[in-house]
Amino acid sequence: MSEIYTLIEHRQGEIRDISFELLSCGRKLAEKTNSNLTALILGHNTENLVGKIKSQAHRILVIDSEVFKDYNSESYQLALSDIIKKANPFITLMGHTAFGMDLCPALATQLEIPFTTDCLDIDVVDNKITVTRQVYDGKLNAKIAVRDNPSYLFTVRAGCFLAEESDLKTEIANIDTSVTEPDYRKFVEYIETPAGDVDITKSDVVIGIGRGIKEQENLAMVEEFADAIGGVVACSRPIVDADWLPKDRQVGSSGKTIKPKLYIAVGISGAFQHVSGMKGAETIIAINKDPNAPIFNEADYGIADDLFKVVPVLKEKVMELK
Amino acid sequence: MDIIVCIKRVPQTAEADVTIDYTGKEIEKDRLSFDMNESDSYALEEAVLLKEKFGGEITVISLGHQDTEDTLRIALAKGADNAIRIKAEDFDELDGYKTAQIIKASISDLNFDLIFTGCIATDDAYSQVGVTLAELLDIPHASLVIFIDTSEKRAHVHRELEGGLMEHLDISLPALCTIQTGINEPRYASLIAIRRAAKKEIKVLGKEEIKDENILLNTQIEELFIPPKTKEVEFLTGSPGESAGKLANIFKEKGLI
Amino acid sequence: MNFELTNDQKMLQSEVRKFAENELAPLAPEIDISGEFPKESIKKLAELGLLGIFIPEKYGGSEFDFVSLAIAIEEISRACASTGVIVAVNNSLCGYPILQFGTEKQKQKYLPLLSSGEKIGAIGITEPNAGSDVASLESTAVLDGDHYILNGAKRFITNGTEAGIFIVFAYTNKELKHKGISAFIVDRDTPGFSLGNHENLMGIRATGNCELIFEDCKIPKENLLGEEGQGFYICMNTLDVSRIDIGAQAVGISQAALDEAVKYSKERVAFGKPICKFEMIQNMLAEMATQIHAARMLVYYSAWCKDAGIKRFSKEAAMAKYYAANIAVDVTRKAVQIFGGYGYSKDYTVERLYRDAKILELYEGTSEIQKVVIASELLR
Repeated sequence: MSEIYTLIEHRQGEIRDISFELLSCGRKLAEKTNSNLTALILGHNTENLVGKIKSQAHRILVIDSEVFKDYNSESYQLALSDIIKKANPFITLMGHTAFGMDLCPALATQLEIPFTTDCLDIDVVDNKITVTRQVYDGKLNAKIAVRDNPSYLFTVRAGCFLAEESDLKTEIANIDTSVTEPDYRKFVEYIETPAGDVDITKSDVVIGIGRGIKEQENLAMVEEFADAIGGVVACSRPIVDADWLPKDRQVGSSGKTIKPKLYIAVGISGAFQHVSGMKGAETIIAINKDPNAPIFNEADYGIADDLFKVVPVLKEKVMELK
Repeated sequence: MDIIVCIKRVPQTAEADVTIDYTGKEIEKDRLSFDMNESDSYALEEAVLLKEKFGGEITVISLGHQDTEDTLRIALAKGADNAIRIKAEDFDELDGYKTAQIIKASISDLNFDLIFTGCIATDDAYSQVGVTLAELLDIPHASLVIFIDTSEKRAHVHRELEGGLMEHLDISLPALCTIQTGINEPRYASLIAIRRAAKKEIKVLGKEEIKDENILLNTQIEELFIPPKTKEVEFLTGSPGESAGKLANIFKEKGLI
Repeated sequence: MNFELTNDQKMLQSEVRKFAENELAPLAPEIDISGEFPKESIKKLAELGLLGIFIPEKYGGSEFDFVSLAIAIEEISRACASTGVIVAVNNSLCGYPILQFGTEKQKQKYLPLLSSGEKIGAIGITEPNAGSDVASLESTAVLDGDHYILNGAKRFITNGTEAGIFIVFAYTNKELKHKGISAFIVDRDTPGFSLGNHENLMGIRATGNCELIFEDCKIPKENLLGEEGQGFYICMNTLDVSRIDIGAQAVGISQAALDEAVKYSKERVAFGKPICKFEMIQNMLAEMATQIHAARMLVYYSAWCKDAGIKRFSKEAAMAKYYAANIAVDVTRKAVQIFGGYGYSKDYTVERLYRDAKILELYEGTSEIQKVVIASELLR
């Protein structure tokens, strides 16, 4: 029977959300290809982690060692290349995260198996695989055929598969390892972004600004609106890159994930990295000049107009109705 | 410190209308403007900053068509010393894996302490070339790098993880880093630098020069399509006053103000 | 014949465009309202070498050709017309006459200051009672030992409030008519030199435009530019070059207006469809694009004449400036028309472009004067 492997991603003792999504994706693929799903955990003191994903896979393969306490793609690669070479699973899945992006291409290249990254969906028909990916700043999707091979490696985008409950009977197996952290790449420490005066994850109303704001001076206009509506100002990546707002205001995969009652995207185009941080908001509003901007695919209400015209009027109207 | 920087010329699609061409596999490019991929320009700047500190030479390399030479020349004007174009016209369809193999074959006789690439290209968005290339060269890598402090032998780098967290690594050189935007502030080329760069020769490599026979393509585009809408947005129309008024009323109805 | 830009021209174009879009365009609406001279932008432009575009490298310049000058001024003006003319004046109206007519000592002293932006350049031709009729100027300079004593006033001086170096024209011998005009390099801190009123202009509002006042202003003899009596010739020669700039500025402003109009016409819906579907809109867009293309070709051609070493290209420069200014006013007017009522609002860029365009028909020789130049060349 063929095998689907998913690599469980965890950090600082917590299993990351993407891992549950990968398990969902893995179960779907396993069902479709009549395979078994194996969850791979590389870590240290893994009981707690194993407990969290029990019943989510047919088998959990644990490699418990001090060396895997913190992720290091090189030591992971040393262990995983052996396992995959021996087991030759049909498909191995990992997240398209800072972790998976760092590991997948190297591991697959070493094993000489075809891979692709940032998959939104993976489709198997008669052992032929096509994946769906996003291209050209998220404006288009691409259906991609993957070269024929007995074994594949993919990274899957966060938020594309829903984490679901499952009640599989799970077998747990342990593998010993002799891997040590290589001298050529050593993990030193995690560094937290220093906390600022505003915690954007705690506010019911968040106004996110993006490239469309054009220059730093225009922040004042948005701050005034935020004050009027009782919200806080957050932003997408370009604003942090330009140093207009501190890193702790960034919403998105490399910033914070927020779930406010109301999110208002102002001048944000809607790159998936940003969307993944705000799509849990109850109501999403987008204000952007470009009616084709991807942000409108996420919004409940949209205004396709010049933000510099709309925002000041919106502030006035909100003040009137308050 | 010798550094190779891999750059790509990409269509600027973030604020443009993107349309699929008659093949269904490509976009219409004749109306789009092209420029150096965003994170590649940060990679180049980081290399120039290191060169200013340690000396050495920067070689920029790009797999692209003839017009890629314009982008390479801009890189020369911004501080690179040598430029190589690998003729994309010799290699049919490309993906990240194939590109990495071709680049590997092209730089076999170059000395380097570091290789920089951007962390993602905005066109095909694979995020593959850098890490794959490191593996093919059998050197350590770090992806999504937003800070580098390097000596001759080792580098301390910070990788950007999710949720505002960073990872501090200590890697040995030679190594490859894929560079994240925001690590520095890319410069504009001065006119004098442009004038000097315009005269520099760009080395062009074709299939004959790249002897590797086993270059493989992992993936092929079958079709492009417009992403299905996951949510149906309700557009509020009218003048800015009207649309803003409608929105304010929605806030009121939903009890948000 | 080759219409293709050279490698360095292409690179200059793409780099200046990027710089202008990212660094100048966002400031343009703000400085249009405040009238504040964009000092920070000028500093950055200096770092890139845009304040000494054709000045030789040995004088601190970038040593590009005049086609490149036109390309750069076009790109800068497309983002911000005020910044465009500031740069044009520094390069062509102050830098050029010193480069062309200055002594080696003057070139070594002044050109590096202008190229590096350490001092901004300006030129004083126009007076309260002398505009198009340059020979009617009233300023006088009288030699007194080692100094010329300059008296008079100049009006509408671009860069006036910020400049450190001024080219000033005055009569040294009124009896010789235009052959009695001389040109001087005047430092800002020269005793007897002060600034008058700041001009409150309709467009290009951030150009530090003001009056210059000379009251027994003592100019060292070595600051005479060229020879005594050569002023009129220097002035005309300089204006030939600066007309390339103004033509380029007109093309830049027009291109900005067309870009805005195309975008808006695709977005704005009326009678159930985007207005770009209406033939009357298409008619305007087609005319605008053709006008801009023709103007750009005239400007490039006049710049090419200068690069090719053609001594006399007054007609070509006047044609470029006259036509480009003319179409800029028309193109920006059409852009406002396409925007309808919104185009009349300060909230939209085309309103500014329309105001900025009007000056093009007035300065560096009015359109009427350009036609006089063209006709006189025909009738020579």
